[in-house]
Amino acid sequence: MKSTATQLGVPEVKRTFTWVDAVVLAVVFGLCWSIFHFGSGMTVQFDVSRSPEISTDVRNIPYYAARTLLRMWIAFGFSLIFTFSVGYAAAKNRIARSIILPALDILQSVPVLSFLTITVTGFVALFPGSLLGVECASIFAIFTGQVWNMAFGFYHSLVTVPGDLREAATNFRLNAWQRFGKLEVPASMHSLIWNSMMSFGGGWFFVAQSEALTRFNKNVKLPGLGSYMATAVETGNNTAAIWAIVAMLAIIIASDQLIWRPLLAWADLFKMELSEAGQPPTSWLYDFIRRAYIFDWIRETIVDPIADYIVVFRRRSRIGPVLGFQSRRKIWMWIFRVAGALIGLFLLYEVMVGLTAAIVAVTNSVSWPLFLNICWLGFLTMGRVVIMTAAATLIWTPIGFWIGSKPEVARLAQPIAQVAASFPTNMTFPFVVGLFVALHISINWGSIFLIAMGTQWYILFNVIAGAMAIPNDLKEAARTYGLSGWPLWRTLILPSIFPFWVTGACTAAGGAWNASIVAEVATWGDKRLEAQGLGAFIANASSQGDTALIICSTAVMCVFVLLTNKLVWRRLYDYAERRFHLD
Amino acid sequence: MPTLLKPASDGFAVIDRPVVAELCDITKSFTVAGGRELKVLDRINLAVHEGELLALLGQSGSGKSTLLRCLTGLTKPTGGRVLAYGKLLEGINPYASIVFQTFALYPWLTVEQNVAVGLLSKSFTAAEKKGAVGKAIDLIGLDNYHDAYPREISGGMRQRVGIARALVAEPKILCLDEAFSALDVLTAENLRQEMVSLWQGQATSLKSIFMVTHNIYEAVEMATRICVLFPHPGRLGLVLENSLPYPRNSTDPEFERLVNIIHETITMQALPDHPPEQAPVSGRATSRARSRLESIPTVPVSQILGLLSLIKDDQELDNIYDISNEIGKDFGETISLVKAAEILEFVDTPKDEVRFTELGKKFIAADSETQTEIFAEQIKKLRLFHIILAYLEVQDEIEEDTVLKDISSALPYENPEKILQTMIAWGRYAGLMDYDANTRMVTRPEREEEEEEKLVEKS
Repeated sequence: MKSTATQLGVPEVKRTFTWVDAVVLAVVFGLCWSIFHFGSGMTVQFDVSRSPEISTDVRNIPYYAARTLLRMWIAFGFSLIFTFSVGYAAAKNRIARSIILPALDILQSVPVLSFLTITVTGFVALFPGSLLGVECASIFAIFTGQVWNMAFGFYHSLVTVPGDLREAATNFRLNAWQRFGKLEVPASMHSLIWNSMMSFGGGWFFVAQSEALTRFNKNVKLPGLGSYMATAVETGNNTAAIWAIVAMLAIIIASDQLIWRPLLAWADLFKMELSEAGQPPTSWLYDFIRRAYIFDWIRETIVDPIADYIVVFRRRSRIGPVLGFQSRRKIWMWIFRVAGALIGLFLLYEVMVGLTAAIVAVTNSVSWPLFLNICWLGFLTMGRVVIMTAAATLIWTPIGFWIGSKPEVARLAQPIAQVAASFPTNMTFPFVVGLFVALHISINWGSIFLIAMGTQWYILFNVIAGAMAIPNDLKEAARTYGLSGWPLWRTLILPSIFPFWVTGACTAAGGAWNASIVAEVATWGDKRLEAQGLGAFIANASSQGDTALIICSTAVMCVFVLLTNKLVWRRLYDYAERRFHLD
Repeated sequence: MPTLLKPASDGFAVIDRPVVAELCDITKSFTVAGGRELKVLDRINLAVHEGELLALLGQSGSGKSTLLRCLTGLTKPTGGRVLAYGKLLEGINPYASIVFQTFALYPWLTVEQNVAVGLLSKSFTAAEKKGAVGKAIDLIGLDNYHDAYPREISGGMRQRVGIARALVAEPKILCLDEAFSALDVLTAENLRQEMVSLWQGQATSLKSIFMVTHNIYEAVEMATRICVLFPHPGRLGLVLENSLPYPRNSTDPEFERLVNIIHETITMQALPDHPPEQAPVSGRATSRARSRLESIPTVPVSQILGLLSLIKDDQELDNIYDISNEIGKDFGETISLVKAAEILEFVDTPKDEVRFTELGKKFIAADSETQTEIFAEQIKKLRLFHIILAYLEVQDEIEEDTVLKDISSALPYENPEKILQTMIAWGRYAGLMDYDANTRMVTRPEREEEEEEKLVEKS
């Protein structure tokens, strides 16, 4: 076979190793080393009475930052495994789907933070005498914060793989693995990477929170940026605190530049459209890595020969056509079915046991008046969520539209908004609370601002995306008819932004419930401020370790979130889809 | 060689070659809105022999793609058997490869990798794979495109990749699913001729080609046997042997004769010559309804109006084939348009001619308000529309689902959703009904009352 190069008359360049490969290799080994180095700190001795000391020495920041980062990546790795297995099962099996989808829907609305203390207890019991238990609890918190929307996204891409591409795979008799690798994962790659980036960004909030937690009125601190920050605030070391914020910003930006930008640039290959995109995302690192020869070398000299060997070996050991493809498939199908049924039964059993225990605990120790009080607190927190969403909408919609309609501004502003959304604002709460104390602002109102600090950005960058998506011809038509001011907003801008706003506001409101657990109780030095609300109630129950109260109040919050999702957001989504879909 | 086949005039061509794939008594139904069964294929018997290039002709919605999917094993028929080289087919037909209308290439794979997808089910070593892929790429004329991505190449080149991918799997039968209809005219013509010479030549394992198309010329140009599929439900209408030598010339009288036979068959099926209807007499519209509940072609009003003004402007255009050429639509679509105009009694179609009726002349000369009135009058004569109009006589609105159910029991072989969509479009133009997408209700239009008053005044 002739190669492209000779046919085009270009002398064929023999690809060899260059300095690029040296850099890539060095980075790979560096990464391996750091995983072992920082990972070894995860399994040190741990005693509930003496939690590890966090030093506020600025020179320790790189170490703590690396530990935080490692936690994030481990959690992300588990999220990926979960996404692939559960998303795949839901897409492929009707029975699994009918269980998984509603379960994900409910789990998505569970406020992760309220369960932190319970999971810590569980994990510490699993690894007695080792810090690994607390470490696992933190990783679990990050995992639950990011996994659901990844799993949903993957499931959604799997079921929307175009029919003709699926038929081609079937016609050419790809087996399940080949189908997964050649069709299903690539087809969902674009959405998977986008969702991962968003989830990863959301994870910082949970990592910062879960590193320093109160359990049975005792402080447990994991070495990391979040706990460093908490210690700095406790000891009033403001320089250290500011350094921690700078370090946090630095690793968020570095993650964006070194991981997500290259991945996004790569993801452009996996877009479904057959037309060339207007402006594909670019990344200097992606361009750099593409120059490396090492990956081709590994494929040519290691992977291919091994695959060939397996093919030859198989051919020798089995002459003639392999026994019925169909019957082998049937055997596998039955193995999967039995395994699936067993796992399902086990999970069902566990859930039933847990549920009965929880119900018994709650009915024994939560009286009706207390329960009604919890519900009332839920309404108070809901009021905060509504005010936050409304205020953020009023403020950010005009600004977002202005940014979105100026492409050069949008190109700058969008990454900034994304970084702002990723930044764990809970790290800065102590300072803001200090301001509230100085200005005598009630935490009942101030907590709305605290909640908004973390969640408003979702509204902003969705509005920006919406404004950028308004087709030019519609804008020109509006200009031709001399539309401006309110008529322009009513007829063109608001309807075309609306679907994007719904997405943003729904995400923001969902995050706000979670944030209320952190925002409604705040400490500044020795001053402790507490708002009236469900978030504060959960936070208190959590630090006291009162399991029954935690379960009950968390369940109430779940119900609030689920109901607003079903009654408000779901309907708005449908309405937006029906009325304002631009196609 | 195909030219050895005896011509159709001898009766049945004697084909004693092995049968690559055979459909025996195939029936296929789908479940549509409301849980009803929609029968798409009805007892089809068809065999593809070695050395044959079989074309299946049919309008869109006649079930020809479903038939192809049954033959390749992508779809399991509801009734009947599929045989591959005489053996009952289970799962995917190992002898068949498909070339898709939409190419169905994986955008994230290069040309070379896309072609290699055809080999994935075989255990080949890397070198063997490379050899087979390279051979297919060379054969199909993609030499310089090994490392290009599908989005970087033209539609014609993309389809070549699709063909190379199908051939690399070494099929005995190649199934073309409207493979040329997404390409421009010149590219398609070029690719058609290459397909024929691939099938005639010895370079591949290919024995037969089974192609599905709505293009009559394409079928006559390529096929040794042509089957016409009649719609609602899909059933075999006409089977024609075509022994013209390749390359075929569309001006050859025999070529034209075959095209004409197919044209006439389709026209007679879609537009049978009714005995003339009785002259309209005054009275309620319902009394003049056609006795049989007839379906309507799913065409937009604007195209019916366009067709009428086209025939008015050019008196020479009095035959369906000329109209089809003039408006650049394929024959099946043109037939649907003419049929719509005929149902509304604007034109008459003796044989393949299209003539204005008196009403049609009046309609086309009228102002737009009168046009709407005439259109409304004509719609009221259609039994199908009585389903909705009867509801709207006693209530202001009616659920879409109820109407869909009624339509599907009245027209069991049609897609009720498409029919309703068309009915609403026609009814809106006529000012007889409206549709609210939010409530999914078919409603009485607000202006209806005053219009009815007007009608009363007139009569």
